[in-house]
Amino acid sequence: MGRSPRWLRLLVILYVGALIGVPLVFVFQRAFVHGAGALWSALHDSSMDAAIGLTIRVVLVALPVNTIVGVGAALWIVRRPSWVSRLVDRVIDVPLAISPIIIGLMLELAYNQSGWLGRPLAALGLTVLFSYPGIVLACMFVSLPLVTRQLIPLLREIGSHQEQTAASLGAGPVRIFLTITMRSILWATAYGVSLTLARVLGEYGAVLIVSGNITNLTQTLTLNIGANFESYNAYQGFVGAGVLATTSVVILLLLGVARHRERKRHEHLA
Amino acid sequence: MLDTVSPPPSSATQPPRKGWLLWPFQTLARRTSQGVAVTFYSLVVLIPLAALFSSAFTHGWGFFWKAATAKEALAAYRLTITCSLLAALTNAVAGLGTAWVLVRDTFRGKAILNALIDLPFALPTVVAGVTFYTLYGPKSPVHLTLTGTWTGITVAIVFVTLPFTVRSVQPVIETMTFNAEAAAATLGASPWRVFRTITLPTLLPAILTGTGLAFARAMGEYGSVVFVSNNLPFRTEVASSYIYSLASAGDPVGAAATAVTMLVMALVVLIAVSVASRRLVKGS
Repeated sequence: MGRSPRWLRLLVILYVGALIGVPLVFVFQRAFVHGAGALWSALHDSSMDAAIGLTIRVVLVALPVNTIVGVGAALWIVRRPSWVSRLVDRVIDVPLAISPIIIGLMLELAYNQSGWLGRPLAALGLTVLFSYPGIVLACMFVSLPLVTRQLIPLLREIGSHQEQTAASLGAGPVRIFLTITMRSILWATAYGVSLTLARVLGEYGAVLIVSGNITNLTQTLTLNIGANFESYNAYQGFVGAGVLATTSVVILLLLGVARHRERKRHEHLA
Repeated sequence: MLDTVSPPPSSATQPPRKGWLLWPFQTLARRTSQGVAVTFYSLVVLIPLAALFSSAFTHGWGFFWKAATAKEALAAYRLTITCSLLAALTNAVAGLGTAWVLVRDTFRGKAILNALIDLPFALPTVVAGVTFYTLYGPKSPVHLTLTGTWTGITVAIVFVTLPFTVRSVQPVIETMTFNAEAAAATLGASPWRVFRTITLPTLLPAILTGTGLAFARAMGEYGSVVFVSNNLPFRTEVASSYIYSLASAGDPVGAAATAVTMLVMALVVLIAVSVASRRLVKGS
């Protein structure tokens, strides 16, 4: 009783296999379709390599910033309740519900030459749109809540008894954070960071508007794939897609490890 | 626990508490970090959001309404809402079945199936887009041409939103006990009746939450849809694609007006879903 019938198992495997498994295998098949030699030279395409370099430089800034902000925001929402933090808690998920195209449009309107933020920055000699800072900004916006929303329920659950005990025994805030708080939220944070990494690597719509999509200059890997595909260079596009599909399989593994470890930690406590 | 910790013995020889000298610096650090956080959120989210609303109403309410209800915009809303709804409902049913199998069934390769569910979160939308275009395009290797059709758009959205229902229902099935189901079955209820009267009501709030999130995400989808749809104005152009075409054609006010309309619709859906699932939880 309560088990699942065999036909349902088959149906689910077929559904997930056809919808997710087939496209994943297909990307790799297309990248290898002309053999290893062609793949090797396509991997050394200069504009794709420039795009990969830019994408890595975006990740190097957006990922640490969003991790620190995400952990800080979760601690602030759970540990310092006020009407402001309750309001933030309510709207924290909003960036996930906004279309990436609309996020790109928002940033463009705020940061263009006559925008509220673009004009004063231009007076200081700083440009955000159609350059590296704009791309970083777009990637941070789309992935902003991913760490926080993993941590909020966890922090509520574990409470702050251990931290209070440590404080009463004379531990400083930094020591408490490193030895107690961080230890219990480590794997949930890793899960959120992996999701952030996926979102930053894969962002397309918002970056498309904000970056200007200039080959070799402001073209991220996702934009490079789209551009190759639109200029009837589908093979090169699929090589780029294969690179990103590989990173997403790695991210899936990271997510799996993080979920497993978090469950182990949870069972250990229970 | 806290009560059992005895306070440190105070005696005349003990030096004063180490922290008191640092106190002003700690307050300063706290104030600074709050300031940095507020500035950060303002620069990244709040001011751009305000700029969008301000731009949408630059030329007044009349211009906003005209841009938001232009014929091409209405066609785009209709397409986007229809396909998103179809995709969300498909995944409500399929996601429930998938979550059920993942929790209550055991077979070899289940871990792989479980991991694959998250792929749409990990795979860039543009990769999904070009893959679907090639897989179901004019030269389809599986002899199935879906590009330029509503079906193709719906399939792309179903792919992207697949994890939402599964991941919101799965934990609830894990915590469900067999007792009520077993009791009903002992009393002679058919499996279908057990499912309808016991299982489904328990899972309904989670299904609703997952479906609502999937629908909101689907309404804004761009990368995975834009290649498959062929982008024909009035026929296969989704809302985000229409907004992009307005923005790149030098009509930021029209783009902002359409964007505000879509944003309000997505928020209404999310709020409605959150209120409804809270009611359901209270009711049961």
